[in-house]
Amino acid sequence: MISIPKKGTPEYSRLVAEHEACIRSMKGVAGCSILRCATPGDTTEISGGIHEDFVLNRVLLRMRAQPAKNKLVVICTKVEKEWRIGRLSGIRGVPPVFVDDRVFDDEQAVQHEIFLMRLDELAEHDGMPEHFNEGWKRRDDNWTAT
Amino acid sequence: MRLTGYADKFSVHPGDGIKIYVNCDGPAKYRAEIVKMINGDTNPRGPGFIEKLISVSVNGEYPGRKQIIHSGSYGYVLDNPSLRVKSFTIQCWVWPTTPKTHPKYWKHGAQGLVTKWSPADGGYGLFINEDGCPELRINDIKVSGTAPLRDHAWHFIAATFDAESGEAVLYHEPQITYALDPEIPPVKAALSSQVKQSGIPLVIAAYTGNAVGGTSAASSVPKGMVISGHYNGKIDSPRVCGRALSRLEIETMKLGGQTGMDERRGSGPTPKLSECVVGAWDFGIGINTIMATDTGPYLNHARLVNCPTRAMTGVNWSGHNFDWKHAPSEYGAIHFHDDDIDDARWDVDFEWQVPSDIKSACYAVKLTTAEGDEDYIPFFVVPRVGQETAKIAVMMPTISYMAYANEHLANNAGGAELLVYRIPIMQHQNMFLSEHREYGGSIYDTHTDGSGLCLSSRLRPILSLRPKYDHFLMQAPWQYPADLHLIYWLEANGYNYDVITDEDVNYDGLARLKGYNVVISGSHPEHNSGPQLDALHNYTQQGGRLMYMGADGWYWVHSFHPAYDHLGRGVMTEMRRCESGIRTWRADPGEYYHQSTGELGGMWRYRGRYLHTVAGTGMSSEGFDISTYYTRTPESNDPRVAWAFEGISQDEKLGNFGLVGGGAAGTELDIVDTMLGSPPHTLVVATSAGRHTEGYLLVMEDFGFNQQGLDGTQHPRVRSDIAYHETPNGGACFAFSSIAFCGSLPWNNGDPSKNNISRLVKNVVDRFMKDGPLPPPPSDAYKHRGRADYDRPGNTVNTSRGG
Repeated sequence: MISIPKKGTPEYSRLVAEHEACIRSMKGVAGCSILRCATPGDTTEISGGIHEDFVLNRVLLRMRAQPAKNKLVVICTKVEKEWRIGRLSGIRGVPPVFVDDRVFDDEQAVQHEIFLMRLDELAEHDGMPEHFNEGWKRRDDNWTAT
Repeated sequence: MRLTGYADKFSVHPGDGIKIYVNCDGPAKYRAEIVKMINGDTNPRGPGFIEKLISVSVNGEYPGRKQIIHSGSYGYVLDNPSLRVKSFTIQCWVWPTTPKTHPKYWKHGAQGLVTKWSPADGGYGLFINEDGCPELRINDIKVSGTAPLRDHAWHFIAATFDAESGEAVLYHEPQITYALDPEIPPVKAALSSQVKQSGIPLVIAAYTGNAVGGTSAASSVPKGMVISGHYNGKIDSPRVCGRALSRLEIETMKLGGQTGMDERRGSGPTPKLSECVVGAWDFGIGINTIMATDTGPYLNHARLVNCPTRAMTGVNWSGHNFDWKHAPSEYGAIHFHDDDIDDARWDVDFEWQVPSDIKSACYAVKLTTAEGDEDYIPFFVVPRVGQETAKIAVMMPTISYMAYANEHLANNAGGAELLVYRIPIMQHQNMFLSEHREYGGSIYDTHTDGSGLCLSSRLRPILSLRPKYDHFLMQAPWQYPADLHLIYWLEANGYNYDVITDEDVNYDGLARLKGYNVVISGSHPEHNSGPQLDALHNYTQQGGRLMYMGADGWYWVHSFHPAYDHLGRGVMTEMRRCESGIRTWRADPGEYYHQSTGELGGMWRYRGRYLHTVAGTGMSSEGFDISTYYTRTPESNDPRVAWAFEGISQDEKLGNFGLVGGGAAGTELDIVDTMLGSPPHTLVVATSAGRHTEGYLLVMEDFGFNQQGLDGTQHPRVRSDIAYHETPNGGACFAFSSIAFCGSLPWNNGDPSKNNISRLVKNVVDRFMKDGPLPPPPSDAYKHRGRADYDRPGNTVNTSRGG
């Protein structure tokens, strides 16, 4: 249903550029959205991002709706100073594991890095009849239960 | 995290003692200091973290020792002659939630159902084995069933053993069988062993692990015995008899014991069977207790540890009675979980006698080691009723802290990202909790077995109740550290205030509030007990002033479990998520009523107590990406309330800054709605309408069927209303209607000349804290007002285009 644009396409580049611009404008905000702050770090005037780019909006929604197992997450390793990328196990009692050695000094920048990783990791298409498998009868359909 | 700890109280009176329990896992010693908490937010755009060391005798170094938590609920009966059976029948109904777990699941392995068995001592018992099949064990012999138990379904399991013949039989009879389910014949085995007898207890929903002494068993129950193999799921009607029964006798034994019957019926279910009953537990008796009653002759009542969930529908629930008080026999099930925890049961590290002259405020025990470990144990010094020391009371929302205690959403809930509209950030507390499930979870979580978590204890380290902790919901302070934004502001502006807690209001009632001219809520007083709401209504009715500094308040029904009253006030709280509202899990049908008090759980709204009646506004939407600002309405110039805007111009953006989402209007938002309980004379003085993002959505209780257009870029009811209304006898309420609101208070160090949120709040506090009733409104303010019924301005003017 929601397709992930292929790497190398103009659509892919647009999504990445818009996402990055939004993230950069969010630096310093005690929160985060994929929207552009007219004044960086200040949410008084916002535009663009998910409010104006329909494909970006939908792609992000599909990423957000993934079930917990193997989902990427941000881990703060030093309060107000350092952040890394982790992957959830989906198993109770098994903590997330770091995916690599990268250490970020900006909590918003990690959102963008994970966005790029997910663009690579997610299947181009999903949710169509050809993707049906027996797990769907038990909600194992790549969309989290809430 | 190598340092964790808790106290035996949230609120302590001057002159009383507070006990501190510390786990120090590794370092030989740790340092403890009492600090006054001022600002708990490390965000560099705010004032930064501020604490004030209090010089007291308990400050100092203490020997470090590891203390662990034994989670998992079960029932146990101490060893006695009646339980030392040579031949036996064990039977019960089970509704397992995790009959077979992933090999890496934190408590992977066999699960005990009804056991008097340990690996070292042998014994007898009924289990679910690692393959998810029923199993009888006699010492180290296993007689396994052939069919895996279907999860979330009832099964009858029974096992007999005859010591003379050596024959063992294992029955597995699912309650529901589908067309293509294979038949499950009983399994028979011939054994040449005898049951080994020992002093271990009989355990329901687990088995006795290692009977070791030392520190690892110090906090376990029974002391010195570590209980293992926790079962996840419901158990109904467990029975143990002292001989091998026939299948027909087993069926009759389902009826259980019957006490108080005359000689014609015996103590049942038949005179013959009554001769061999060892234990026949009826979980439908004493649902509001932590004791499982044995209706058999030996009174082998099982003490329930870690408060498993009761008021659960039994195998015979018929769908006609939904309140267990009216049909306890249909609620004969207990749902056990391997991560239930009612009390960490640690040893005391030290006790602090709070000096009688110490100022009421927010304090914490600060724990550190030389190697850089750090933890805080927050608590509150609260004056005794009648000994208030300020005109202002800050009502710290401790029930809400308990509701959020140790929450796991960023780690466990796939839906967390949909909720917050960005990728959650886990702090080191969340990382610790993701591994240490024995610290329990919050009432937002599901248990490790996926079922809803409805009980929360404060007698355990609550790692979310910490300063310097950013919550995944906002990547900013939430609950306790967010409430410290308010405390910072009061301190920075030189106000004298007392600190009280939800539990103080619950137990002390109106008397707790009456001595204050103004009561200020925390940023998110979402979870409240009935007595607390009663006290607040009585307070404002009698002329008290209430400042509602948050949103999503007064939302969920909470009760305190009476079985824990002997350990303190408000130790165990209960809440159930029923048919509407914010439900990160949903209670099953028939399981809406509280086990602790028998009241209907869920939202106060669906008990007939609308949120908006408490302080004037009620929740209508939530979103967690970013916050925005308010602008004044024409109503803000009404003489009844214009005083609040002294020093604030009509066109100012109110709170386009803040430490929670970057604005004062954010996260969860309340509005005025006269159809939902807002008094008809309420004034909306400022609103954030139209400015919220797509991430903000209308709450499900405010629409009847799914529809497009519910988000902040489209729906007018996705907004926050700052509102004011008068209450009788010179009282009033000022509602700021946004959880993010307090996050704007510390901006520019809370200086009202540089921060219009600070200016607004200062105007309100200064007026509300004055002695005596508020000045009355002008006489023309008194008029009849309806709820839905009013005249739209357009109805009274000439609507022709020409004007």
